[in-house]
Amino acid sequence: MGEIQGNTDKWFFKINPSFKFLIIDALFIVYLVVSNLNTMIWAACLFLILYLAVNGFSARLSFWLIILTLWVSVFSSTAMIFFGQGTHVLFRWYLVVISEESLARGTLIGLRTFIFSLLGLIMASTSRPVPFFYSLMQQLRVPVKYAYGCLAAFRMLPMMAEEFVHIRQAMKVRGLRQKGIKAMYERIKRYALAMLAQSIRRAQRTAVAMEAKRFSMTESRTYYYEIGWSRMDLLFSGVIVAVVIGGFLLSGWFPLTPYTHVIDH
Amino acid sequence: MSLINKPVRWGVDRLRLAFPEKKSMFFKDLTFHYQKGEKILLLGPSGCGKSTLLQVLSGLVPGSVELPMKAEKLDVPESWGFIFQDPDTQFCMPYADEEIAFVLENRRIERGKMPGLIRHYLNLVGLSLDDPHRLISSLSGGMKQRLAIASILALEPDVLFLDEPTALLDPDGTTQLWQTVRRIGADRTVLIVEHKIDQVLGFIDRIVLFDDKGRIIADGSKQNVLSEHRKELDKYGIWYPGVWDRFEAENPGNREKLTGLKPLLELDNFRVYRNKEIKFSLSHLTVYQGEWIAIIGENGAGKSTMVEGIMDLLRRRGKVCWRLAKDDGQAAFVFQNPEYQFVTDRVDEELGFSLTLKKKDSQMIHEQVNRVLEQFSLSEQRDQHPFQLSVGQKKRLSVASALIDHPKAVILDEPTFGQDARNTFALLDLFQSLRKDGTTVIMVTHEMEIVRHFATRVLKIENGRLVEDLDQVTDLRRKEEENGRDPGKHGQVVF
Repeated sequence: MGEIQGNTDKWFFKINPSFKFLIIDALFIVYLVVSNLNTMIWAACLFLILYLAVNGFSARLSFWLIILTLWVSVFSSTAMIFFGQGTHVLFRWYLVVISEESLARGTLIGLRTFIFSLLGLIMASTSRPVPFFYSLMQQLRVPVKYAYGCLAAFRMLPMMAEEFVHIRQAMKVRGLRQKGIKAMYERIKRYALAMLAQSIRRAQRTAVAMEAKRFSMTESRTYYYEIGWSRMDLLFSGVIVAVVIGGFLLSGWFPLTPYTHVIDH
Repeated sequence: MSLINKPVRWGVDRLRLAFPEKKSMFFKDLTFHYQKGEKILLLGPSGCGKSTLLQVLSGLVPGSVELPMKAEKLDVPESWGFIFQDPDTQFCMPYADEEIAFVLENRRIERGKMPGLIRHYLNLVGLSLDDPHRLISSLSGGMKQRLAIASILALEPDVLFLDEPTALLDPDGTTQLWQTVRRIGADRTVLIVEHKIDQVLGFIDRIVLFDDKGRIIADGSKQNVLSEHRKELDKYGIWYPGVWDRFEAENPGNREKLTGLKPLLELDNFRVYRNKEIKFSLSHLTVYQGEWIAIIGENGAGKSTMVEGIMDLLRRRGKVCWRLAKDDGQAAFVFQNPEYQFVTDRVDEELGFSLTLKKKDSQMIHEQVNRVLEQFSLSEQRDQHPFQLSVGQKKRLSVASALIDHPKAVILDEPTFGQDARNTFALLDLFQSLRKDGTTVIMVTHEMEIVRHFATRVLKIENGRLVEDLDQVTDLRRKEEENGRDPGKHGQVVF
């Protein structure tokens, strides 16, 4: 997994992963209850800046992920924008009715999707799996069987990707390339069957191998990595608080839209 | 003191075991014992239960693998380590040092001692990585197996169980693995299940031979068992030293020079890409009809890349020109892992699949499928799901379904890899008869006996380039004479 995170020296990698995880979770809840469109706009801008500053992906990957995130956000806002209710109608075309209110609400939902995705990206791009799960075990007392189970599963992802390529080649060789819905269904079934069969076998083997190495799900154990606390955690809290409060303050100082409470309108 | 001097003895008395999907008992009152310091090899046909027995002796059955079993008495050693067949599924951590640390954590070793111990165990297996924090996925199969041994050594085991540890390794990896086992196993008790035994024989002193019903038919010193049970060894497909001689005495191979060749495939300025990088390139190559071409080279040299490029499975540039008539169809390709190739739910449908795609007459398909089922000894399995077949049967099915339409050329990626001797010889006989009928056989292989005995032409690949193109019959002979090698004697020949 380590390969897609280009620069792992950035300071966000040094934050305690559990702490980062909890803070990010808390932020999800914060922005779930915000209904001020201005706050969302400013928060989205600030988190975008934060993401660009701290993420561990390569610039290229970052760019495409942002594009993807934007696309998903726009997509999620359209349902509300096109079909929501409102009195100040701006545009009407058969079933599609765009009103000022629905536009505001749709934008809010889109921005929420965008912020949530950014938060997820910040977490995913700056956390390595091994320290993350060690921290979960040490700070949050997550049972070892889940932590090591997830780590073992992480190892299998690249193997599955490789396997997918092989199966695709094999299908091509066997002449399975007709078009049409039935052929597609047939093909998906083959892929699923071959990959499931391999994965189940692999998981079973790994589990036995882990037990053969005396992995015990109940007894206490020592840890190769000890994940502790550092000044980075303080700094991180500071930055997050600054971004969140900054978002609220800026929306008060520079309200870009009149919609401060879109749900009531 | 008497406790220490008394020979320590482990094993099982009157073991009975059943597999849920099979109706009959697997072992019936099997008794097997071994003593401290013994080096034992368990032999038998595939599917005879040797691996399961190993798991019973280590306590993995029924502790980790739940199987209904009963035994009068079972003595499991206090500290043991188990090496499995598949190098990829023995690890749960992404990095080499973390994997050994995982074992140390399980043993509750203090954190401060871990880095030193990790280096120690890596050195024991000859894996001197500059930085032990190395991605396991970047290691070769042989290195992975040695890492598996290192992590098992971290358990400080008295008894080592090895379950076909080299079945998925290339010849180099195999040699290094057995060297490692020899070194670390000298003062330990070692039980080995293995089919390719020539490199193990020097190390072990006792052989236990099983029949296909899971009964012990011989148990004794290696000299006795090997000399008295040749017939069973042949029957069960064991790779004992000299097995190639016996096979080659029956099958004359390809020693005659080919004449009057017609070109079948021409490659010009041929390049194959993986992830936008050129991984194989070749200025010119002509393949002729009726040739048996062996493509050899180290792991990662680009052999598979080359054949996958020829089959248009990877992005390629340059001229690839098949001299095939319209009704000849395409060249057939057989993958290393047969399971990827199965596209139907029944063995007979699998065989008929490519014929059905060509909309051939159903009566004719039926006849042809029956004939091939017979030829590949798959008739009894005709209504099974391909995934339910044994390793050898799966391989036969994948080869059969590629060849059913009589292609003019067949390309195989390590067709005999992981197969027992009997299966390998059956496949080779088959390829030989195909070639006699005019099919061109192109195979990637590590097995030098095949190269020496069957190939009419050898392509050696190194670093993504063709470095040697040997006309087998003349060039290899000459080469061997130059090197002072006796062409009649067989061994692991590494170019």
